[in-house]
Amino acid sequence: MIGITDNLLGSVVGVYLARAKDEEILKRKVASGGAVTAMLIYALEKGLIDGVVTAKRVRGFEGQAIVARTREEILEAAGNKWSIVPFAARVRAKIEEEDLKKVAVVCLPCQAQFFGQMREFPILETDFGERIRYIIGLFCTGTFAFEALLNYLRIKYNIKAEDIKNITLKEGFLEIQHDDSLLQLPLKEVYSYLQTGCLVCTDYTGMWSDISAGFIEKEKGWTVLITRNIRGEELVKGAEREGYLEVRDGSHVMGDILRAAREKLARAQKNMMSLL
Amino acid sequence: MEKLRVLHVDIGGCEGCNVSIIRAYPKLIELIDLDISYLRDNGFKFDDYDVAIITGGVCMNEPSKIEKLKDIRKKADVVIAFGSCAAFGGILRFCRGGQEPRPDHRNFQPINAVINVDYSIPGCPPTPQMLQSFFKFFMSGNEARLRLFKVSANIKKLSGFDLLDDIVLTGLCIGCGACELSCPTGAIKLIDRRPTLAQERCIRCGTCYIRCPRASQLLSMGGEKR
Repeated sequence: MIGITDNLLGSVVGVYLARAKDEEILKRKVASGGAVTAMLIYALEKGLIDGVVTAKRVRGFEGQAIVARTREEILEAAGNKWSIVPFAARVRAKIEEEDLKKVAVVCLPCQAQFFGQMREFPILETDFGERIRYIIGLFCTGTFAFEALLNYLRIKYNIKAEDIKNITLKEGFLEIQHDDSLLQLPLKEVYSYLQTGCLVCTDYTGMWSDISAGFIEKEKGWTVLITRNIRGEELVKGAEREGYLEVRDGSHVMGDILRAAREKLARAQKNMMSLL
Repeated sequence: MEKLRVLHVDIGGCEGCNVSIIRAYPKLIELIDLDISYLRDNGFKFDDYDVAIITGGVCMNEPSKIEKLKDIRKKADVVIAFGSCAAFGGILRFCRGGQEPRPDHRNFQPINAVINVDYSIPGCPPTPQMLQSFFKFFMSGNEARLRLFKVSANIKKLSGFDLLDDIVLTGLCIGCGACELSCPTGAIKLIDRRPTLAQERCIRCGTCYIRCPRASQLLSMGGEKR
């Protein structure tokens, strides 16, 4: 077990590899272990939260902020979005509309930073940080400026946005499933379509989260979970105790996560020099 | 543990920040000994203080206020500019004089135009919880959490205009919508996933800039903006 540290990854209480015990979740989530989905279902079913605010892919690359209040709704929202969802304002609207008192937010590091800051330092009377029970940050290498990328896909490969069924990241390739075919795009080719703001981002894991989640290539079928405080630790342990989650120590993957975090930091520093 | 000696001084504002501090006090009473003008008649309660919280902007045409600020700086180990007027000038920047009641001068500045400030906390006004959180992290020595407010102490202006210039026009905006949510006057609206600013509604409180994940990240990485 790794002690509490404050470094490139922020505060770390524990690092785990986890996967859902539920077969249905595993069936839907092949890339990683479905641990986030399982934890959210646990929190919802045990009354720790009364809703999950997350993004759901509605069409092609596009995501939309939704509130999931049941197991089925959480399962439907699972999966990659690949574009940033204008989350913040929608989250407040959703929380107020549905009168949620305790929510979990699943978001990217930049959004986790915003929600974390809001929870710890409420600047406005209208802030709703006290309603955010859990912030779950997802490992992130960047999001696409998707209008530009879609344009590129349309011009070069004749793929229409509405035909895109799924997008997955596979060792250096972006696999785009459209209609019945599969296009493998080398990451280098689409790198320039990442949002400029993402190119200067230094946070790979989401340091302001309660739990950061992601996956690494060498542990296929498992989700890496980094707990950052007691609140996050209790959620993981609770989900394990109640049979929602299978958990094992993940200390040995710290090196890989650190490497990815360092690469993102180096990219940010390099880009910042040329952009600012 | 010994209580921190905390001085609060308002040098000219709308009193919103003062109300916020008074609202925060019940939960801080075990930790700090607050010397606030509403709880005493005149002068200062102590000769020196661990922390001075200053609210309101400084009128540069008013020598007595400038001297008062310098005097407070000498008395206190740590100075906090609390609220957007003290931190970045805020709405006082728009004072044109002649209003009833006063202020009646034109030139208002954040307090770091006159003295060194250790932490600037924006907000118009900041919530009571903000101050409670600040003291929680300050007393536990968690500088990582306070870093953003520390770097803000060197900034003399911050507004929606700066957000547009530094983040949106440079293409660094990621379209998350944090600024839209954080603007207390509704000056910022997201159109086509990017913020637009209704200039006449911006009160220069700096909240959007501090809340923008990209802007605040750049600031806390050591980016200087004076």
